[in-house]
Amino acid sequence: MDGNLNMIGYGLAAIGPGVGIGLIFAAYISGVARQPEAQGRLQSIAILGFALAEALAIIGIALAFVL
Amino acid sequence: MTDHIVVAAAVENPLGFVPVEFALSLVTFGILFFLIWKFVAPRFEQTFAERTQAIEGGIAAAESKQAEADAKLAELEKQLGDARHEAARIREEAREQGARIVAEMRETAQAESSRIVEHGKAQIEAERQQAITSLRAEVGTLATGLAGRIVGESLEDEARQSRVVERFLTDLEAQNGTTTGSVN
Amino acid sequence: MTMKTGITMAAEGEGYVAPGPASFDFSEVPLFELGGLAVTKPMVQLVLGAVIVFAFFYAAFRRASIVPGRLQFAGEAAYGMVRNSIGRDIIGSRDFAKFVPYLVALFFFLLINNAFASIPAIQFPTFSRASMAYALAGLSWVIYNGVGIHKHGLIGYLKLQSVPSGVSPVMYPLLVPLEFFSNILVRPATLALRLFANMFAGHLLLILFSTGGLFLIEYGGIGYVAGPLAWVLAIAISFLELLVQFLQAYVFTLLNAMYISGALADEH
Repeated sequence: MDGNLNMIGYGLAAIGPGVGIGLIFAAYISGVARQPEAQGRLQSIAILGFALAEALAIIGIALAFVL
Repeated sequence: MTDHIVVAAAVENPLGFVPVEFALSLVTFGILFFLIWKFVAPRFEQTFAERTQAIEGGIAAAESKQAEADAKLAELEKQLGDARHEAARIREEAREQGARIVAEMRETAQAESSRIVEHGKAQIEAERQQAITSLRAEVGTLATGLAGRIVGESLEDEARQSRVVERFLTDLEAQNGTTTGSVN
Repeated sequence: MTMKTGITMAAEGEGYVAPGPASFDFSEVPLFELGGLAVTKPMVQLVLGAVIVFAFFYAAFRRASIVPGRLQFAGEAAYGMVRNSIGRDIIGSRDFAKFVPYLVALFFFLLINNAFASIPAIQFPTFSRASMAYALAGLSWVIYNGVGIHKHGLIGYLKLQSVPSGVSPVMYPLLVPLEFFSNILVRPATLALRLFANMFAGHLLLILFSTGGLFLIEYGGIGYVAGPLAWVLAIAISFLELLVQFLQAYVFTLLNAMYISGALADEH
């Protein structure tokens, strides 16, 4: 078995954003379930939050390759 | 395969910057954007606007038709109302006229009947007078004859005869003045 | 390094060569040369993608009429989807119109290039070449910052992007650099890397499951069970990839629209 320690680090680092994205969409889904007419507004907010949370994972993958 | 592996041994970093690809991507996308902006977007917006206008025009036409129909309906209803009014007026007039005619007829009939009654009365009076006159003559002759027979005296003289009868009748009338009315 | 070890093993004719970044490197196997410049498969795909997008829209709107034909209807549905649900809903009906061509071109350019990963005989996502994704992200960075500076002026724009509203000034020393970092510096990097990483990882998974399945079947033994199973998984992942391809094109365009709308926002 061989591999790169960077990738293990990245796998660990991706846990945080993964949980964050899950929380964001969980909140989005329950929000839409409670108030379906607010979907349009919620969707853009959810995608923005998703982008911000995912940014961390993306920074992680960049560093995993660069370091 | 071996060649490829040897190549792969010096593999680049996947995040590495390749100027050619960067430039090509920019240029290709730039050209695509320009073409879309120049040829596609204006046509889409134009078609979209035309369609919107067509639909709105259709709606406007339909609205004007609707308004026209409404106006026509209102007019017809007004005409119908007028006609009803007119009919009621005519009916009323007819009723009045009928009543007037009936009244007139009644009046005429009454007049006629009274006229007939008058006429009858007059005729009866005339006949009565005639009867009285003839009776008077008859009574004179009969009485004279009867008296002549009874008294046996000659009463041939006309003048005397009539004088005697006149006197007798006058006496009779004076005696029975009240009963003359019931002769009829 | 993983690759080196794997390659050494393969060179010795034993074991499985795991797919890695080498699977995405075409620099040594150019399709042809053009003016001394090696033209690789992703470059051809990039141009082909642009040609397909333009050809589709041009054909759809060449004889645009009020009552659309089938092709025009498809073109209008596609154009209208980006125009209305991304452009108008995010940027706002006041000034979305001048960004619509950009958003439409971007979305369909990304979509077709991502879809190349699943189109037989091509089967390579163009934007798994990071430099190409950098270009689009860099362009969007220039556009949204340019739009913001044009509207608010440089100082006003920096203030808009860096100074959060509804926070006491005591927090400014902490928040202003963070906001600046997040809104000005990180955005283009995440845009490019999100697209790249999704395409890269998806394609890598597909290669892994297909070539791995083949290797297992050739290996024999338990591989006769595991190999076909890997191929079934590869098919399932292909469908997941179709979703991801669309989603990445959509998210990239949507975030572009959001950044533009944020740059155009009135000062608070």
